[in-house]
Amino acid sequence: MLVTFAQAVGDAMREEMRRDDRILIFGEDIAEFGNIFGITRGMLEEFGSKRVRNTPISEMAFIGAAMGAAETGLRPCVELMYSDFSLVAFAEIYHCIAKWRYMHGPEYKLPLVIRSAMGSSFGATGEHSNCLESLYMHSPGLLVASPSTAYDAKGLLKEAIRNDNPVMFFEHKQLYKTKGEVPEEEYTIPFGVADIKREGSDVTIIAIGLMVGRALEAAEALAKEGISVEVLDPRTLVPFDKEAVRKSLSKTHRAMVVEESNKTSGVGAELAAMMQEEMYDELDGPVVRVAALDVPLPYNIELEKYAIPDAEQIAAAIRKMF
Amino acid sequence: MEYSNEFLMKLYEELLRCRLFEKKLVDTYALGKIPGHIHSGLGGEACYVGTLATRQQGDYFKNSHRCIAVANLLGVSLETAFSEIMAKRTGNAGGRGGVNHVSQLKYNMLGFSATLACDIGLAGGAAMRLQYDGIDNMAYTFYGDGTANRGPVHEAMNLAAVWKLPVLFVCDNNQFGISTHVSQGSSVPNPGADRAGAYGMPSEVADGTDVLAVYEAAKRLTDHIRAGKGPAVLECKNYRWRGHFEGDQTPYRDKAVTEEWMKKDSVAKMEKLLLDKKIIDQAAIDNMYQQIDDEMERAIAFAEASPAITPEEIYDNLYV
Repeated sequence: MLVTFAQAVGDAMREEMRRDDRILIFGEDIAEFGNIFGITRGMLEEFGSKRVRNTPISEMAFIGAAMGAAETGLRPCVELMYSDFSLVAFAEIYHCIAKWRYMHGPEYKLPLVIRSAMGSSFGATGEHSNCLESLYMHSPGLLVASPSTAYDAKGLLKEAIRNDNPVMFFEHKQLYKTKGEVPEEEYTIPFGVADIKREGSDVTIIAIGLMVGRALEAAEALAKEGISVEVLDPRTLVPFDKEAVRKSLSKTHRAMVVEESNKTSGVGAELAAMMQEEMYDELDGPVVRVAALDVPLPYNIELEKYAIPDAEQIAAAIRKMF
Repeated sequence: MEYSNEFLMKLYEELLRCRLFEKKLVDTYALGKIPGHIHSGLGGEACYVGTLATRQQGDYFKNSHRCIAVANLLGVSLETAFSEIMAKRTGNAGGRGGVNHVSQLKYNMLGFSATLACDIGLAGGAAMRLQYDGIDNMAYTFYGDGTANRGPVHEAMNLAAVWKLPVLFVCDNNQFGISTHVSQGSSVPNPGADRAGAYGMPSEVADGTDVLAVYEAAKRLTDHIRAGKGPAVLECKNYRWRGHFEGDQTPYRDKAVTEEWMKKDSVAKMEKLLLDKKIIDQAAIDNMYQQIDDEMERAIAFAEASPAITPEEIYDNLYV
């Protein structure tokens, strides 16, 4: 069945909440309003106000409450409206949630998911457009997912909700309306398993989130020029499927990382370093990074477009590798 | 209030255990046996003991970085506590967390963050769980006068109030946030209690050097909370006997004032009361000191003899 990414996210929560009554959701404007993208619409009516709650605009408090509820036996799947707002509760996430079990002992499990809408969306500007995966990759103790399709979003979110570790779950705003095939039957996707979105033999593009689609567009264009591009979507950044990358490189021997976040200290920086440290023998040249410019994302939509990689930029960067 | 002898003895014993634990912590740190930093709870014991005298089976607790001894009152063995403090495998986190993280979930302890305040919302979360399951218990969350000015405290108070969560916020006002006197950090005289009104919560200010005064105030507030009327704030005024951390020579305060406050000794007050009422005699008191000290010496010897975790175990407990 063909569903939107947004529907897939909502369905994942609904199905899990029907399966397990320890799961509850809370966050800003998720109850009557059904979240600003409509993702949780109808959930208040189905599950009641005990399990679907609006919070005040108090990220520190409700992230802290999610943690306290998780350690005492509930399974909260909370929503931070925009991933940008996770920084308001950054210490709660980075220090407390990530480190709690390590610092206090193994019985302190935190089965907790923090979902947020992320990324650029046509003039949302510097404080509502960030891609912050790399910040959370830097905090041992968290799991980080950033799906690119409706199918992956649903399967990964169901897995995240069932997982006993805290998960940062990023949903790209521009992907919400994209449609994809999702089976009627039950499925989950394990964390740490990459998906080859397109097979190829000349170069591997590791792309995440919105950039997966752009990498696929570039691959299509380059195919006509005789360059065969493999597009690898890690789907989760923590844990990261190194073996899938190694396998792909053993075929292509060239690697590129495409991300929407700005380049400095981004996901690409980590992955390029990792490949050069651990997979050097497979590489015929340096790992290339294609990323956003190191600026706050401008309000002007033409400049916003200019700052973020598109298919043409990705294709141009690949041509230079040969 | 009328008290049974048994209740008074229980309070005294808990108070004494906290006092001697906190003293032992200072002495053991001075011997170089504890890594990192410790923050002595000497002077603040009555705030915790008096409040926690209202606890019931099934309640949840978010402790503070002062008065680590509270972990022992709530159930953590001295062996486990000192092992964690001395970074040994036999500690609750195998020595990965340390002195600020002496905690066991089996005793309904929610853990503690050394960021101060980033953990304040945990009690609200535990209270949500109680509400979710229709359980008539409550959660306690302790914080200091310095932490009282942090944003997470205010957000957590508002959330608890708007959701009518069964939470008691307990401000251990020992008058100093590191070196900064409470008057320099808060615009109101009572940084705990005076903020309660903003969130429609009842509050009390208690003499934090008098365990019975603390208990009576805590009792009134916990009765309110347990009746399902929402959260409340208790502020206990006392004075931090030691520096912020061991090694802090406290040049920012007047020694004469410190000495005056140290005369308002919660343990000595209880001893006088028990002796006056002839509930106990001096020999029995001396005996209790000796017994508790012996227990702690044995726990420290156990911790010292325990192995540390190995580098191979460094990643254990990070992920389930």
